[in-house]
Parts: sequence; structure tokens; C-alpha cells
Amino acid sequence: MKPANEFLIKEEQVFSGALSCRGCGWSLLVRHLASLLGPDTVYVLPASCFSIISGPYPLSELKANVVHTLFAAAPATATGVRAALDRQGKTKTHVVVLAGDGGTFDIGLQALSGAAARSENILYIVNNNGAYMNTGIQSSTATPYGAITTTNPGEGYKKSWPKDLMGIIAAHNLPYAATCSLAYMEDFRGKVMRARDTEGFRLLMIDGPCPPGHKTEPGDSISIARLAVDARLFPLYEIERQHYKMTYKPETFLPVTECLKHQGRFKHLFREENKVMLEDIQEHTDDNWNKLLALEKLAQVLA
Amino acid sequence: MKTEILEKTSGIRHKTETSLYPRHQQLIMKGNYAAAEAAKLCRVGYVPAYPITPQTTIVERLSEMVATGEMDAKYTNMDSEHSAFAAAMGAALGGERVFTATAGQGLFYAHEVLHAIAHFRLPMVVANVGRPSIPWNIWSDQSDSLSQRDTGWVQFYGESSQEVLDTMIQAYLLAEQLNLPVMVVLDAFYQSHTSENVWVPDIDLVDEFLPAKVPGPMSIDLENPKAFGGLVPPEHYNKLNYTYWRDAIQVEEKAEQIAADFATKFGREYHNVEAINIGPKTKLVLVTVSSITSTARGVIKKYPDVGLLKIRLFKPFPKASVQEALKDLPKDAILAPVERNFLGDREGAIFQEMQRALYGMPIKMYDFYAGAGGKDVPPDTIEKIIHLARTNPKEVNWVDIA
Repeated sequence: MKPANEFLIKEEQVFSGALSCRGCGWSLLVRHLASLLGPDTVYVLPASCFSIISGPYPLSELKANVVHTLFAAAPATATGVRAALDRQGKTKTHVVVLAGDGGTFDIGLQALSGAAARSENILYIVNNNGAYMNTGIQSSTATPYGAITTTNPGEGYKKSWPKDLMGIIAAHNLPYAATCSLAYMEDFRGKVMRARDTEGFRLLMIDGPCPPGHKTEPGDSISIARLAVDARLFPLYEIERQHYKMTYKPETFLPVTECLKHQGRFKHLFREENKVMLEDIQEHTDDNWNKLLALEKLAQVLA
Repeated sequence: MKTEILEKTSGIRHKTETSLYPRHQQLIMKGNYAAAEAAKLCRVGYVPAYPITPQTTIVERLSEMVATGEMDAKYTNMDSEHSAFAAAMGAALGGERVFTATAGQGLFYAHEVLHAIAHFRLPMVVANVGRPSIPWNIWSDQSDSLSQRDTGWVQFYGESSQEVLDTMIQAYLLAEQLNLPVMVVLDAFYQSHTSENVWVPDIDLVDEFLPAKVPGPMSIDLENPKAFGGLVPPEHYNKLNYTYWRDAIQVEEKAEQIAADFATKFGREYHNVEAINIGPKTKLVLVTVSSITSTARGVIKKYPDVGLLKIRLFKPFPKASVQEALKDLPKDAILAPVERNFLGDREGAIFQEMQRALYGMPIKMYDFYAGAGGKDVPPDTIEKIIHLARTNPKEVNWVDIA
């Protein structure tokens, strides 16, 4: 048993006063990330919730250099920053993109693919909260099937499945990519350290709690994130050169409804006439889980 | 063998040094290679690139020079012009001297990044080989760069390969003195792919003129971390624009001073604008940019009362230099801008800027659209413009419409 005063974060690399909503995942994510990366880091931020959270001019939440850049251009901007630092011999300095799902799945996908394919020595963090939350909860291609957003309102709720970003990124043959949850902190921190210590283009996708966007209680953020993992809606795994490895397998089966029912954005799915939607989501979730297990098995065969 | 191949692809043929310009070599090269050569001479450290006709041979040549070690720089093949300019922005924030080249759609695609680079106050030089937008056309036209007039970039237009090379050297000095980005524009094919004599200075001569890049106010400093470009509240934003304006209005004077220093060092003279045969007896002045100027230079030799005003610095438009160049014109003189651009307006870009520079002055001006999309503007066309301007011109004229 560790003593109660032994904290995970030994030295804070953020200032107090982050401008996030209550229950937002960004601040917790960046607090841990920054403490593991240290001050010798340049963060590159496209437009996202975090560009506001990290502070408007002249403030900065992070005790490191921060470059705010264009929505579509974070991996390209980071490429230039990396090149300059390397030219000056500062090859150990971390260059880290902090992006949302809109900046990653949609408008930034080309630049992301370019940087990944070039094997730029950059760590890319995507906080996937499943919509353009900063502009007020508009749908992105990361928005879950069935969810209501301000651009998929009411009966116009989202009827297409989100992109498999990890599959897309795996196809770039990255040295390291992983999914993480703030509810599984040791797993998350371990993956950050692994990504930190790997050379080349690395990507971590974190399930991002968002009470205003998901219509949840701020105090429930972490428990809902845990349910998402346990119901296999957000599986935790690593991908190393297209080789998949599950890092957490829930021991018991938990229906997706156990996670979805806490989120107002899925409330309409629980009406009797939408029962089939929930069945669709369960089936899709099971298929995805089985596909990941098969990919893990394939990696073992190839190893 | 390797060198031979390089020479073949680069189009450079060595000649012997003569005494006209000491510490120079006279070479024959295309405008695009002159631009690439200038980037090397300026000791550019980072080149993010994306191909587009007719710019491509600039970045090809740079990739060659980096690959062979002739140039000590990092070269990156990017995924688009948007990304190429964003990478240039990142490396400039990182304190490197950067260069890239583009044309037409590439420049249009990079539009939002152009704004960001300028308003981040990042010094850099970019070569644009002018071509228009879709429907597809790859030939000479200045609509691409002129439509980026308002992004905050300084713009020079080169008349010859020599001028492109020399202007790029001056442009880095200007950019780094004022923390502004500079675009050097050359004509598609007439310049980019046409071989000319070019005096190439020795790199140590350039070193004496252009000091090594040092970190600026917008450089990342690992010892003193800060945030760049976060949300700026209204009162601060307005002040940032004021400081930008305060520095931008110095461009005209600084550029002229840098050109004068360049003339002392390298022996070749440049001005923001060049007045040819403009005096009390001049009745008509053609106003040109880029290679059309060379054609007009030849034509006006036949017309003792026709002058020529070449605009080299286009943005910020050199109002004082224009007024100075035209100060001896008689009151009934006529100005005739020759436009190789179309920006969707009644008048072309040169006419608009000249009207602004001469507002309130009793000078008549008639606009002449000619040569958009690369249409040839031969001496005959220039003569047509002269005759039309003297007989019965409309305020805006299109010449040689098929």
C-alpha cells in the first residue's frame, strides 16, 4: 500500500487555472502528459477546446512553449518546428501536437497522414470527445452512431458510424499508436511514457469526457469513461508497426446500454421505437471488439 | 558523371569570371534555377516543398542541392502547399531561415497560412511563379500573387533571372530587419523556364551582405517558454495590427536603402520603381511589372515621348517612389498600366494601386488589360497600347482580344 501522500505527478508542468468546463478530460490529460514529458517540450495546438483551455493571450497554462496554429495544419506546423529544433541540435526536445477529433479525423487528416507517412519525430495526442465541442457540439466524423449534436439534432441524430482513425493511422506503419482512457490512469501513463520514449511519429487517442457535449454530469466523467472501456465501446490497445495488442480485456460482458444510458446525447435511443438502434450499436461494438481480437491474434501469428 | 547529370538537370553552364562583377561567376540559367541558387546563397536552412507547374524545378533543384550536400539544409516533401507553408511557419518560429516556392493554385491553397505567417511576424522569403486559377492554365499571369496583396506579405516582381536572384538576397535582409515575410514573383515560362545570363555572386560576398539568421521576437526559446498565437482579445488585436502597420510602412524606405547597399556591394542597381524616359517632354507613360517591362523597354526607343514606369516593389505599394518618379511629368501626360492580371474588377491591379498612389493629382490614366493566362505581349501589342492610349481610349481597354 502506497502512502496517501505519494502522488502520481511529482512535478507539475502546468499552472493552475485551466479554462476547461467542469468534468472536461483535457486538463487532466494535459496535466499528466506534461508532467511525464517535462518542460523541454514544444506543444503545437490547432483550433480545439484546448486552444482556449490553455489560455488566451497573454496567458499560458503550460510551462513550455506553445504554438497555436491553423485548424488543418498542426502536424505540418509541428514538422517545421521539429526541423528547426533538429537543425539546432535540440533533437531531445519533444514536439507534441494536442488536437481534438475535428482537427484530427476531419480537417487535419491530410496533414496528419502526411506527417505520419514521413515518420516525423512528433507525438500526436488526440482528445476524442466525439464532436466539435469548442464551437458548440457540431458533428465530426468521430461522432458516435446515434448521437445527437447541434448539427444532428432531434430525429436527425447521427446515422453513420465514426471513422476508424486507429485503423487509418495503423496503415501508416507507425512505430507506436495506442488508445487510452483517463479512467485507466496507470495504463494511460504507461502509454504516454512508451510513446515519449519511442522515436518517429507516434499517436495516442484518448477518450475525451465532455459533460456539455455528452449531456452528462461533470462528476460522472471518469466513471462514464470507465464504462466506455468496460462495455468495449472504447477498447484499450496498442499498435506497433501494424501489430495490434490489447492492453485491457474486460473480464465480464457489459452491455453498451450501461454506458450510453448515462449520456443525454443518446437518450432518444432508449425509446421503444429506437430499440433497433441500440441493437445495431451493440452488434457493431461486438464486431469491432472481435476484429481487434483477431488483429491481435494475427500479430501473434506474424511475430 | 554525377556532376554532369546535375548540370544537365540544373541547366547551369559555367562560364569564366570576368572583371565586370568581381567575386561573381557568369552563368546561364533559367529563372527557376536563379531562385534556387539564391536560396542556397542565402544559406536557407529549411525547405518544405510541394510540386506545382511551373515552380517545380525550383524545389527539384533545391532537393538536388541538399541531396548532394551542396546546400546545408533540410528539405521536406510535404503533402500540400497548405502544409508546406505551415511547415515553413513552424520552422520560422523555430528560428530557421526558410524558403519555399509555389505558383497559382498552390498560393491560393496556402492563403490562410499566408495570413498567419504575416501576422505572426515571421520573416521568410518565398518565390511565386505567377499563373492563374482554374479553368486550368499554367502560363504567365499575376492574378495569383496580386490576389494575395492583402495577406500582409511584401511583394517584389522580378524582370529578369538576375533580378530574381538579386531581389531574393535583398528580400531576406528586409524580411529579417522588419520581421515580415516577402514574396518574390517571377513570370511563368517567360522567366521560370527561359535561360538567361546571370551573374551569381560568391557565397562569401552574400555572407558579407546578409548576416546569419539570429532568433527574432517570435522565435521559440526553450529557456524562456511562452505561448505563440493564442486567442487575442480585441484591444490587443488592434494594437498588434497597429505595430504591423507601423513596420510595414517602413518597407518602401528600407527596401530602397537595402537596394542601395546592394548596389554598393554587388554593383547592380535596383529601385522600388524604375523611371525610364520620364521627364517634362514625356506625353505617355507605360506602367509595367515583370517581363513585359523588358519588351516595353525596347519599344519605347522608337517613341521619344513615351516613358516607362516599372514597378518592382508592389506591396506595400511604393506611393512616394511613384510620385517621385512622375514628378516632372507635364499635366496633360497620360499613364497606361499594362495588366497581366484579372481580379474580377473593372480595373486591373496596377491601375487600382496607381490611382491610390496618385489620388488627387491631375494625371489621366487609362487601363490596358493584355496578356492574362500567358497570352504573349509582343512589341506589336505594346505599340497598339501606345496608339490606343493616344487616340481614343476608354478608361479600361482590352487589347488583342481574339
